[in-house]
Amino acid sequence: MAPRPAHSWRWLLANFLKREVSSRYTGSVGGILWALANPLVQLALYAVVFGVLLRAPADALGGWRFPAFLAIALWPWLMFGDSVKRAMDCIPANTSLIRKVAFPHELLIVAAVGGTFFIHLLGWAAVLVALRLWGEPVSFGGLLLALPLLAAQFAFTLGVGAFLAALQVVLRDVEQAVGLALTVVFYATPIVYPLALIPAPYRDYLALNPLAYVVTRYRDLLSGAGGWQAGDLGVIVASLATLAAGLWVFRRLSPWFEDLL
Amino acid sequence: MSDVLVRLEGVGKDYPLLASGASRARMLVSLLAGHGATSHATALDGIDLEIRRGDAVGIVGENGAGKSTLLKIIAGVVKPSRGAAVTNGRVGALLELGSGFHPDYTGRENIYLSSALMGLSRRETEDKVEAIVSFADIGAHIDEPIKHYSSGMVVRLGFAVATALAPDLLITDEVLAVGDESFQKKCMRWLERYLGDGGTLLLVSHSMYHVQTLCRRALWIHHGRPRLAGTAFDVAREYLTYHEEKTRAARETAPAAVSGTQPRLEKIWLERASGEGAATFALGEDIVLRGIAHEPDDRTPALLFGIVRADGTPVFGSLSIDAGYAATRLTECRYGFAVRFPAAPLLPGKYEIRAHVLEPEGLRLFDTIETAFVVTGETRDFGLVRLAHEWIPGRDAPDAEKTG
Repeated sequence: MAPRPAHSWRWLLANFLKREVSSRYTGSVGGILWALANPLVQLALYAVVFGVLLRAPADALGGWRFPAFLAIALWPWLMFGDSVKRAMDCIPANTSLIRKVAFPHELLIVAAVGGTFFIHLLGWAAVLVALRLWGEPVSFGGLLLALPLLAAQFAFTLGVGAFLAALQVVLRDVEQAVGLALTVVFYATPIVYPLALIPAPYRDYLALNPLAYVVTRYRDLLSGAGGWQAGDLGVIVASLATLAAGLWVFRRLSPWFEDLL
Repeated sequence: MSDVLVRLEGVGKDYPLLASGASRARMLVSLLAGHGATSHATALDGIDLEIRRGDAVGIVGENGAGKSTLLKIIAGVVKPSRGAAVTNGRVGALLELGSGFHPDYTGRENIYLSSALMGLSRRETEDKVEAIVSFADIGAHIDEPIKHYSSGMVVRLGFAVATALAPDLLITDEVLAVGDESFQKKCMRWLERYLGDGGTLLLVSHSMYHVQTLCRRALWIHHGRPRLAGTAFDVAREYLTYHEEKTRAARETAPAAVSGTQPRLEKIWLERASGEGAATFALGEDIVLRGIAHEPDDRTPALLFGIVRADGTPVFGSLSIDAGYAATRLTECRYGFAVRFPAAPLLPGKYEIRAHVLEPEGLRLFDTIETAFVVTGETRDFGLVRLAHEWIPGRDAPDAEKTG
């Protein structure tokens, strides 16, 4: 393929991103508000089921009320889970483009993950403000400290999304398996329960899950308690490694997409 | 920048056969290991092509011959399985007009998106939007969602976007066959001007008219392999001849309506003086018509041949019994015949030769077979045949003295 200046691909990425964000809500009156409504309903359901009916122990919540405890982790989870789903959808959804136009296919993944992060970041920010107004001890200085971890989570998600999206083109089973796996990972991540509820030996295994690590750290940092830890650097390095591996697989397979779709 | 925009050397493309889940799993392992695709069907093989700046090259071939695959390789959409494909410069590919469009977006929004897809920067796009809108000429529809467009409007917009890119190499796949008459003319005018300004074109078309008018060179791909490369005129002519032969073959294999009790023709064919079968002859070459007739009573049949030009104008015909000719008995009831035209004086063009079989008295005509052939060559003579003639010294009219 003819080499093209990088700036033109940036402009294409900007277009893909715009399309990714606006296409979800084009034609609906509520528009981007639906991006907030959907997680809010989930939040309400989990808050009732796990906070009221099953009564999560208040002393293990790190000083948060349960809805706040839940909300701080739920949006970052959606950034991951929704992004993976969107990344896996975006290759089949753009089959006609891939078969007719030469462009770097990873831009589609970056747009899918980037667009999803953007939407849920807005939602997260709005919810954090609401929690603050509700009297929860949300520290916005802590939010700034959380940004490197958020960036690491983005890189991790991008790597996983690229890996699964490429794999799925060759093996159709992946889509089914990922649907199940996401449900398992959701409950394997301390979102609707505190990590302290897990018996000690298993807790260590669970901590290997980078998502478990980052959501726990978001709660710590947002409560204004403490700064960066050595483990943060480890997660950042691991996330970048995941990104590199995911992109390697994606680039290995993407020249064959046209054959396989 | 290099003068060679495209160079293909021994390019081939295989498509994977992925019927079962297991074959997909093997494929995955093979691709990750960098070994390429596993089991496959060959779509294209052994293609050599060089396109220089200012060239206009046509690709012809039947449906499924691999033309679109070749274009996709050059456009960079498909990775070749074998050989080397090098492309320089900006390639604008009109593989399917409007393929990058999003139905929910307006025409104007889609201009931005598809310009970005073709590699334009934001500034370049903004400079060109008005030119694109005016070329597409779809009026106020430009600000409506594409899904409300007619297919013709989508094509107009797609062509307008693709041409605004001003690519170094423009690849078009049958795009001239879409749109209404006036838009097709507009596209043709645009292409002619683009070529006149030194643009480079790679055209796939089933229209030999377009190939001959727009292209200088052409490549004929047959079942994924190159069959003929040469001037657009030669390739187009050979390709048309091939199709005529194919149509005739289909006609000949159709069950004969004549009954077994009447004389009929088994087959006829044309040969050079050397005995080699041919459908194309050089101007002034010997042409031999041969055929086999069937006479159920095993009596020597009478034969008639006639030559007509492709437009149906009769050139010449003659009856065998007028020349006292008797066909050669080959086996029981089968008679072979041949007519030689020494240094055939037919002028270059397309002709048909017909043979008819009659009963031995030459009164009733029973069966007819025809075959087309082409006479090639360069001459400034015109008409049907080159009559024997010589230019001789001139003199005054015989009665000049009396009248003068």
